[in-house]
Amino acid sequence: MTEKENNKKTEDAGNYFPVNKSYIKRKKIYNRIAYASAALAFIIGAFPVFHIIYSALIIGYKYLNWNFVSTLPSGFPIGAKGGILNAIIGDFYLVIIASCLAVPLGIGSGLYLSLFGKKRTNSIIRLLNELMIGIPSVVWGIMGFYIFSTNAGLGFHFGFSALAAGLTLGFIMTPIVTLLTEQAVNRIPASYIEGALAMGATKWQATKSVIVKAAMGGIFTAVLLGVLNIIGQTAPLLFTNYYNTGMPTGITGPGGAVGDLAMLIFIYIHEPSRILHYKAEAASVVLLFFVFALDIGMRLISWVTVKIFEML
Amino acid sequence: MAEIDNNNNININNIDKNNIDNAVDNIKEEIKIEVKNLNFYYGDYHLLKDINLFFKKNSVCTILGPSGCGKSSFLRTLNRMNDYTEGSKLKGEVLLDGKNIYGKSIDVVELRRNVGMVFQNPNPFPKTIFENIAFGLKIHGIKNKQFIAERVEKCLKYAGLLDEVKDKLHKNAFSLSGGQQQRLCIARAIATNPSVLLMDEPTAYLDPASTATILDLIANFKKFYTIIIVSHNIQQAGRISDYSGFFLNGELIEFSKSGDFFTRPKDKRTENFITNRF
Ligand SMILES: Nc1ncnc2c1ncn2[C@@H]1O[C@H](COP(=O)(O)OP(=O)(O)O)[C@@H](O)[C@H]1O
Ligand SMILES: [Mg+2]
Repeated sequence: MTEKENNKKTEDAGNYFPVNKSYIKRKKIYNRIAYASAALAFIIGAFPVFHIIYSALIIGYKYLNWNFVSTLPSGFPIGAKGGILNAIIGDFYLVIIASCLAVPLGIGSGLYLSLFGKKRTNSIIRLLNELMIGIPSVVWGIMGFYIFSTNAGLGFHFGFSALAAGLTLGFIMTPIVTLLTEQAVNRIPASYIEGALAMGATKWQATKSVIVKAAMGGIFTAVLLGVLNIIGQTAPLLFTNYYNTGMPTGITGPGGAVGDLAMLIFIYIHEPSRILHYKAEAASVVLLFFVFALDIGMRLISWVTVKIFEML
Repeated sequence: MAEIDNNNNININNIDKNNIDNAVDNIKEEIKIEVKNLNFYYGDYHLLKDINLFFKKNSVCTILGPSGCGKSSFLRTLNRMNDYTEGSKLKGEVLLDGKNIYGKSIDVVELRRNVGMVFQNPNPFPKTIFENIAFGLKIHGIKNKQFIAERVEKCLKYAGLLDEVKDKLHKNAFSLSGGQQQRLCIARAIATNPSVLLMDEPTAYLDPASTATILDLIANFKKFYTIIIVSHNIQQAGRISDYSGFFLNGELIEFSKSGDFFTRPKDKRTENFITNRF
C-alpha cells in the first residue's frame, strides 16, 4: 500500500478535519466588528453623562464651596446670595418619607411575589407593577395632589408639604423596589429554600433566615435604584410640594413644604438671572455627587450587611 | 413467601415458611414507611402510577431507574416536598410509623424534622459551616447555645467532616469542596435527629473519592436511620443497599432484596436495566 492510499484511508475513517481558511478569517473579522460596535455603543451612551458633569463643573465651579451647601438661599432674586441647604435638607425629608412607604411595601410585595403567590395572580400583579412604572410622573403628581394635598380624595389634607410629596414619591418608588426585589429573590437558587423547607422550616423562617440574607445585596440595589429614581423627580413635586426657600417647620400643612434639588434647578433655570443659572449648574453637580455618594454608600452598607449576615 | 402486594412483586425473602403468621407480625413492626396505592400527578400528567412498597427500619433502599421516570418526584412525596409544586396532586397513602403523612392531623414541620433530605446538588446555605447545621435546631426553637454547639460538633463528626473543618467552623460553607459541602448537607440533615434520610442522587456531581466517602457514611448510617437513596448508578446500589426498587415511566417494576434484585430479577425490564440496556 502506498503512502497516498494510506492517507486516503485515514480520511475515510473520519480522522480528517476539513479546515475552511476563509471562514476562519471571516469569523475573526466578525468578532472585531462586534467588539467595536459594543465599544461605540458604550461611548455614545456614556458621552452625555460625562458632558453633563463636565459642563456643570465648568459653569458652576465657582459656587462649589462649603458655604454653598451649608447656607440657606437669600438675596434678590432669592438665591442670588447664599446656598442650597434648603434643597439638600428637603431631599433628605423626601427620601426618608418616600422610603418609609416604599421600602417595606416594595420589599414585602417583592418577597410575596417570588415566594408565596400563585402563578396567575402573580402575573397580574407583575403586569400592574410594570404599568405603574410606566405611568408618567406628572400623572402621579396629579394623583398625589388629589389624594394627599387636597381634602377631596381620601380626606387627607396635607397641603403642599413634604408628607404629601414624600408619599407620592413613595408610590413611584414602590413598584420599582417590588420588581427589583422579586428579581433579586428569583436569582437565589431554588435549592436554598428547598434545603430549608426540607429541614422543617416554615416558609417564613426560610425566607427570613436564608432567602432575605442571600438576596440582601440585590434588595439593597432595589432600594438604591428606587431612591435614585425619585431623587431626580420634579413633576410630582410641582403638584404636591412645590418649593420652599427656607426650612420646613413641619411635614404637613403651611410650613410643611420643603426645598428640593431637582426643583431648585428647575426654578433657577427659569429665572432671568445669570447667577441663578450658574447656581443651578452647581446644584446639579451637588445632586450628582449625592447620587454618587448614595451609590457608593449603599454598596458599602450592603457589603457589610451581607458579611455580618453570613455570620448569623 | 409473604406477598404484600399482588401486582408489584414485593416479596420478603428472609421469612421462615413454617411460621408465616409470626413473620408477618415481625414485618409490621419492622416497617418504617409503607406506600399504598400512591398516584401522583403534575397537572394532568399522571406520573407515578399505583406505587405500593415499604421500607424496613434501619435498612438502605435504593430507587433505580432511567432519568425522568419519576424517582425524584417519588422521593419528594415521602416528606411532602411536593406540597410546594403548584398543580401537583396526590392520591393514596404514605404511612410513616403507621400514620398517613397526608392525613389531616399531620404536622408537616414535624414530619420534615423526622424525615431528613439530602439533595442532588450540594446546597449548603450561604452561611458559616456552624450556622448551616445550627439552622436546623434554631428553626425548631432550640436556643441553648451549648446544646447547639455540641450537636453541631456531633453531626460533623458523624458526617466524617469534623477533622477537616474544626478550625474553620465560622468560615463560609462555600469555602468547602463539593464533596465536603455534600457531607455538610448530610450533617445538616441529621441535625434535627430524623429517623429517615432521603437522598436524591447524593453523589451525582461528586468525584469518585468523595463518592466513596459518602457511600461508606451511608453504610454506617443504617444503624440510626432508614435510608432511601435515589440513584442511577447500579454498582453503587448493589454495594450499599439492602433493598432495591426499579422505576420505569412512573411505575414500580420491581422491588426486592438487593441480592435477588441484582442476581435474579423477576422482570425482563429490570434485567435489561441492570445489564445496562437502557
Ligand atoms: N414541577 C414539575 N412540573 C411538571 N413536571 C415535572 C415537574 N418536575 C418533574 N416533572 C416531570 O416529571 C417527570 C419525572 O421527573 P423526576 O421525578 O425528576 O424524574 P427522575 O428523578 O427519575 O429523573 C419528568 O418527565 C419531569 O419532566
Ligand atoms: Mg431526579
